[in-house]
Amino acid sequence: MQAKVLLVSSACLLVVAASPFIGASLDGTESRFILTQLRVPRSLLGAIVGGSLGLCGAAYQALFDNPLATPSTVGTTAGAALGALAVLVLLPGGQMGLPAVAIAAFIGALAVTFAIAAIAASGRASMNDVLLAGIAITLATGAITTGLQFQADMASTFEAVRWSLGHLSQVGYRGVLMISPIALICGAILLSQVRALESMLGGEDRAHAQGVDIRRTRTICLASGAVGVGACVAWCGPIAFVGLIVPHMVRLSLGASRRILLPMSALVGAAFLVACDSLARVALPGQDLPVGVVTATIGAPLLVFLVTRRRTH
Amino acid sequence: MSHGLNIDGLTVVASEKKILQGVSLHVAPGECLAVVGPNGAGKSTLLRAALGLSRGCTGTVTWNDEAVRSLDGRKRAEALAWLPQRTSIREILPVLDFVKAARFRFAESRVAATNAALSALAVVHAEALSERILTTLSGGEFQRVMMATLIAQDAQIFLLDEPANHLDPARQVEFYRMISEQWQSGRSVVCVTHDINLLSQLAPSGDANKVRVLGLREGSPAFEMRLDDARLREALEAVFSMHLEVAEVAGRSYFLPSSRPL
Repeated sequence: MQAKVLLVSSACLLVVAASPFIGASLDGTESRFILTQLRVPRSLLGAIVGGSLGLCGAAYQALFDNPLATPSTVGTTAGAALGALAVLVLLPGGQMGLPAVAIAAFIGALAVTFAIAAIAASGRASMNDVLLAGIAITLATGAITTGLQFQADMASTFEAVRWSLGHLSQVGYRGVLMISPIALICGAILLSQVRALESMLGGEDRAHAQGVDIRRTRTICLASGAVGVGACVAWCGPIAFVGLIVPHMVRLSLGASRRILLPMSALVGAAFLVACDSLARVALPGQDLPVGVVTATIGAPLLVFLVTRRRTH
Repeated sequence: MSHGLNIDGLTVVASEKKILQGVSLHVAPGECLAVVGPNGAGKSTLLRAALGLSRGCTGTVTWNDEAVRSLDGRKRAEALAWLPQRTSIREILPVLDFVKAARFRFAESRVAATNAALSALAVVHAEALSERILTTLSGGEFQRVMMATLIAQDAQIFLLDEPANHLDPARQVEFYRMISEQWQSGRSVVCVTHDINLLSQLAPSGDANKVRVLGLREGSPAFEMRLDDARLREALEAVFSMHLEVAEVAGRSYFLPSSRPL
């Protein structure tokens, strides 16, 4: 098992390290700029965002004891989309710029997820009820977002669609510098909960009997997941499937022990998103596909394959 | 000052139905208490309430005079370990990791946790299972692993909920012997069961007078007496609403359904 973990880890690191060199060849006068100011920051951002989405997805699946739980199913992504849309539509003309959209998306993500976290922390609802509440709020938030979009002019609608597909392209290191501290802190907090989550494998009541403070664990995991994913989604838009599929890939290849599942989901998530983004860059010559399109196109069939393969075991 | 687990006037209400009513009991360090009663008598609820898992509780549950509900989680886990009636694991998980997880209350290195988990597995003769995936275990193997998690948690009282429910006769006896060993080694045991004929397996010959039996009926305590009490048959008849015959085999008493009309 240790050898397998080591093998997968090195493969992931290799993918991330190689990714800046994928794409149009790097000779010519602007090659240095393209490499250091476009491709390397893009790979770094992809690794951070993919790692966060993978780790948070794994933590949520462990917390909810449900393979469908991700930050998107408890409303984090929907809240971010609503926040971003509100700025894009209500303050048109782009005078606010990207940071305003990002900040609004971040606030939207946190507002929705903390509402869910409050239900979970009350300790009265089972985690399945919390998940149902999350899905309900996701649908309601989505409806409001659609309503907003319906009111908007063509230009802001187009902006909104672009945002909602997810993107990693950027110039320079601003995004990396803004997101990495948040992602690292949230990741560290989630990893500190591994022993509690491991104990919860036998159910919340049993974990309680083993000494785990269930309400505290729920609150810490939901809140740090929301902040980490909220920051990523705010900057890059919702990137589909990473948080859902990566933990499944890890679980089916390396087992479900939380001390392996969480950190390895971060690593595999980083490599998965960076690889998808490289593909997005080269798939159509001369065009940059939104990375969300690639993760969904690859992720959905892969997930179906993995899940049906498990059934036959 | 009352050492051990003390439950006083416990009443549990769920959906306006009283599941437990005025139950009091005391389990001193090193004691063994069997809680018997028919299905729905409130036996499982009693254990859940002792752990602070039940809502709608009135009355007090204390451990060494401290309310269990206000105990810090790790302290509570040092006092009480629980074997639930059912545990469902769907994940692909090695046995060793599952047992290690029970070490949550200890601040210790991963190596120390692994060693503790391995020795807990050794106590229940399940070292060979440590690399196996939980979902591939037989019912008997799984229950032994569950016992190992309690031993790894190393609490002072084991709360066991129908521990031999789904086991074949040989495994049932083997499992009760294991419980008995834990009791003999100094732990307290509260064992909830409707299987009255397994109780005699708790006590090695001559120790039946040390095992107490608490009878529950419709949420209320019906009797409390020693396992070797001559009135036990009558008491069980009342609790289970059936006539019983006693058969003595190799110094142990077994209760059999009687053909006498009720």
